[in-house]
Amino acid sequence: MDGNLVVLGVSLLVWGLLFLYLLRLERRIRDLEKR
Amino acid sequence: MLARLLLFLWMALALAAGFLWAPAVVGLEETTRVLYLHIPSAWIAVLALTWSAVHSALYLRTRRIGHDDHAAAGAGLGVLFCIAATVSGSVWARARWGAWWNWDPRETTIVLLLLVYGAYLALRGAIEGEERRARLAAVYAVLAFATVPFLVFVVPRLYDTLHPSPIVPQAGGAGTMHPRVWICFLAALAGFTGLFFWMESLDVRLRRRERSAAAERAARP
Repeated sequence: MDGNLVVLGVSLLVWGLLFLYLLRLERRIRDLEKR
Repeated sequence: MLARLLLFLWMALALAAGFLWAPAVVGLEETTRVLYLHIPSAWIAVLALTWSAVHSALYLRTRRIGHDDHAAAGAGLGVLFCIAATVSGSVWARARWGAWWNWDPRETTIVLLLLVYGAYLALRGAIEGEERRARLAAVYAVLAFATVPFLVFVVPRLYDTLHPSPIVPQAGGAGTMHPRVWICFLAALAGFTGLFFWMESLDVRLRRRERSAAAERAARP
């Protein structure tokens, strides 16, 4: 398999997971701020 | 929410274009792709540490605790992106130099930078009392920032280094690096900058929330 595609896939996976984590964190902070 | 989704798509497209659309730089071959992760990480590290120093100086001037929140968030993210730059650089070094770590001047100075700002985080964690912690951390951050230009820009240029910073500007000085490489590189730089400000705002909001929760706890009979 093309090494470039593997590295790209891993990079996009890491970016996607980080993005989801930050979205969840932001939602949680918003909930805390509302209280 | 729309801005967040745009950032997600922007970064994903910049990465995909960097790997699939942009050609490799002569002399770096396929390891060119690290350009889209390593340099933006290093750029954000410098931006974050500058952000921290500016807010520390503003705190010392105004004594507004909000500046301390920004300073602490900037330093924490600076260390985080410094680690990202170190790890991505180490992977690149393994591919180009055959070893994960070589104590090249660039590698040595980034370790020193991590130690300097690791000490800042340790200092914050060790001091009780919000005002005292903010004041001492601000003084340390302003003094520590004096090392940043030396460790990032001056010292690596004083010694012979294998680091390809002279290669990239030569190959890509405004006219010679392939325009597609420039586009992907600048897009990644912009995306990382957006990511930094998003993460910074979350960190600051969390610190404010923790402070108000502590105040509420203290006010309870």
